[in-house]
Amino acid sequence: MKGGLIVRAAVFAALVALSMPGIAQERTGSKTGFTLQPGTARIVLMRPTIRVGAQSTGGMPEPNADWTRQARENLTRALRAAQERLGNQVIEYDEGASGEGQIATEYGQLFGAVADSVIEYQFFVGNRLPTKKRKDSFEWTLGRGIGELRSLTGADYALFININDEYGSTGRKVLQLVALMGGVAVTSGVHVGHAGLVDLKTGELVWLNADAAMGGDVRTAEGAEKRVAQLLEGFPGRPSEKTIGGQ
Amino acid sequence: MKTKRVATLIAVSVAANAAIAAHANSLVAPGAHTGIANSKLSANSQGEWNRLSRVDGKNVEVWTLDGDALNKVSFYGGIANGMPLLREPDKKRHPLPKVSGTMLMTDIPALLETTYRSLGIVNQMEIGEQSPAILGGRKAIRFTYTLTRAADQVRRKGEGIGTLVDGKLYLVTYEAPALHFFDKDIERYRQLAASLAL
Amino acid sequence: MRWSGIVSACCAALTLTPPSFASAPSALPPYTPAYEPTTVDERGMWMEADERERLLRDSPLRIREGGLERYVREVLCREVGDDRCKGVRVYVMEIPAFNASMMANGCMEVWSGLLLRARSEAELAAVLGHEFGHFELRHTLMGFKAKRSATDVMAWVDVLGGITNRDMSSANVSLVGSLYRFNRAQETEADLLGFKYMAASGYPAKAASEVWQQRMAEDDATALGRGLKPRRNYTSGFFDTHPTDLKRAEYLAKAAAALPADGDARVEQYRAAIAPYLSRMLAAQIKMNDFGGTDFILNSLASSGGWSGELLFARAELYRTRGNPRDLQMASLWYRDAKAAGYVAPELDRNLGLALLRNGQTEDARKSLGAYLVARPEAPDAKMIQALLAK
Repeated sequence: MKGGLIVRAAVFAALVALSMPGIAQERTGSKTGFTLQPGTARIVLMRPTIRVGAQSTGGMPEPNADWTRQARENLTRALRAAQERLGNQVIEYDEGASGEGQIATEYGQLFGAVADSVIEYQFFVGNRLPTKKRKDSFEWTLGRGIGELRSLTGADYALFININDEYGSTGRKVLQLVALMGGVAVTSGVHVGHAGLVDLKTGELVWLNADAAMGGDVRTAEGAEKRVAQLLEGFPGRPSEKTIGGQ
Repeated sequence: MKTKRVATLIAVSVAANAAIAAHANSLVAPGAHTGIANSKLSANSQGEWNRLSRVDGKNVEVWTLDGDALNKVSFYGGIANGMPLLREPDKKRHPLPKVSGTMLMTDIPALLETTYRSLGIVNQMEIGEQSPAILGGRKAIRFTYTLTRAADQVRRKGEGIGTLVDGKLYLVTYEAPALHFFDKDIERYRQLAASLAL
Repeated sequence: MRWSGIVSACCAALTLTPPSFASAPSALPPYTPAYEPTTVDERGMWMEADERERLLRDSPLRIREGGLERYVREVLCREVGDDRCKGVRVYVMEIPAFNASMMANGCMEVWSGLLLRARSEAELAAVLGHEFGHFELRHTLMGFKAKRSATDVMAWVDVLGGITNRDMSSANVSLVGSLYRFNRAQETEADLLGFKYMAASGYPAKAASEVWQQRMAEDDATALGRGLKPRRNYTSGFFDTHPTDLKRAEYLAKAAAALPADGDARVEQYRAAIAPYLSRMLAAQIKMNDFGGTDFILNSLASSGGWSGELLFARAELYRTRGNPRDLQMASLWYRDAKAAGYVAPELDRNLGLALLRNGQTEDARKSLGAYLVARPEAPDAKMIQALLAK
């Protein structure tokens, strides 16, 4: 085998490992020693980035407005219910008259960059940063500035959510079957989501859940509840599994 | 046969893991480091950094603390006349601007900007202050800039120092999001930059 | 995502039958204003369009100042008529590539690279009208479906190539890139409808053909500048939305010839409207490392309006950036010509000085750089320029 082919095969195999159903990445991390006392927190839900649509054969997301609006409603409702079960208050972000809409968007973008870094350089085992490999290390922050936003006054935490959710169309399922027979894995239905909690007193990311393959059809209320349960898995204050960093 | 295919997949997986391990990001311990970016560039680090295994170019090395989207120090080590700063995805149809042996100090930030713009990786970029500096005992240029990367739309700030030695370009840059991150690590970068030697 | 390679191949395989323009185009049909989305797919399109519009509206790339968006919208209205342009929102984005597109919800996006390259209101109108034609014909929805077919082809290619198809689409809509791609039949239909708009608008119909000819000529110049063979791979620029070819420009020209030749292209009005933005557009274009294409654009601007101080300055910048010894000589000449033609900014003295310095003409460089420092003692690069002089 030529050298180039070996490297290509290695990369290919790594991708296969990542995309094979059943070996889905599910990772949660939280700041060492962080807990959330039930009934103590006011949590602001930042405008979630949610897109739900059927995925065509070629992996191009078909936006579906009904599902997205529905999904947003279901998820918000489920989040609120889940948090209230913990005794916490969930309010949706409202810019109000603060004029802070633009900077809130910038923080949303920054959260995305931080979450991506956590996933790429901490959760993805083969790519870890040595300085962040140490046990009990989960040190990520958006900086103190976010706590100074007027539109977040009175809140203790900001909850950021990104979900990109597609469902394989028939064509893609057929493609997947053919591919499997040929030994090639094709993901059907891309599920990428992360949920992160930021402590507004310090700007620290105290909790992040990143799941590359999620279950639950968010178009339905039950599906949304299931998805929320996954998104909030390992949420501080609840029993958790597979947590990096905090217990 | 199915078992043969599974066995092959496992074998390839093992090889992949080995390959991945060999290509893992490495720790930059405090102390002296020579041969940065496959060149005679050296630096003395007071704290720990991470060196990315990812290769952006033949004589390019990237260090980071939290991940290159959050803080990124790029070392360009002795880019020769006629060579681009970064690897060209399509040499013929979309070539990158090249280092010139006759370029002036002020052409260094311009080269960085044109490189980023013609790669399409920035939506906005503006060079700010440019002032004389010392790199490895030689006259150099220090410059600041702002940029927005197309990939994540995050607004970033940058600072760089560069010089030409025997017609080869040596350049070190630091880029981080304007919100919180740039200020957080700027002193650590400046300490590194001050320790640079050729 | 860039599809140019595969889509060009696909499109090259399709035979193009020129539409019959034997007689003058019939009058424009009565216009049904934008309807509300009905099917699930349409609602999906509107939602994505609304999301994208929100990003455009708030984007730092948007050129908000000076009434440029209002002007571009006026050109659209002159082209398609007030009934049609009512309710259309126009956003101009500072992106140095040739592009305009219109979304299902009535939002039109125009890139500054198009404004740099159009030579008259008529040429701009031809492109905007063409895009509006896709919208009026509801191609935006069908185009979406067409794009899906193209990506299906790619997915199968990937599978056969044995490469894992791993699609981790970003949750955010990217600002750069188009949502739509149309097939040849749709492009032809939009051309046909565009002709009807042109005939009713008062703009000369030949502008439509001239725009595409100009694009191809620029692409040829880009290719030659890179040592490649021209006439190979026509794309409309960095982000290809309209694969164009010789045949199309030809049939558009033929059709225009069949129409009465009059019409006011409004060249002067266009130049006046673009003038406040010209230098920043030229500066961004020069930084794209496309010597041949940029030189072509400058020559084109000069051929219609003459070598103004601004164009001479830009030409000098282009050559100084490439930086060969002869380039530096020419640049020095053109900086001086620009000054004589009325370009007064002290930055000219600095850049002339840098060109001279790089070319070894140190004494002359000192004079120019010195003049810059006198005019701009607090400039962000003043200390560096001083350091260069101190050598």
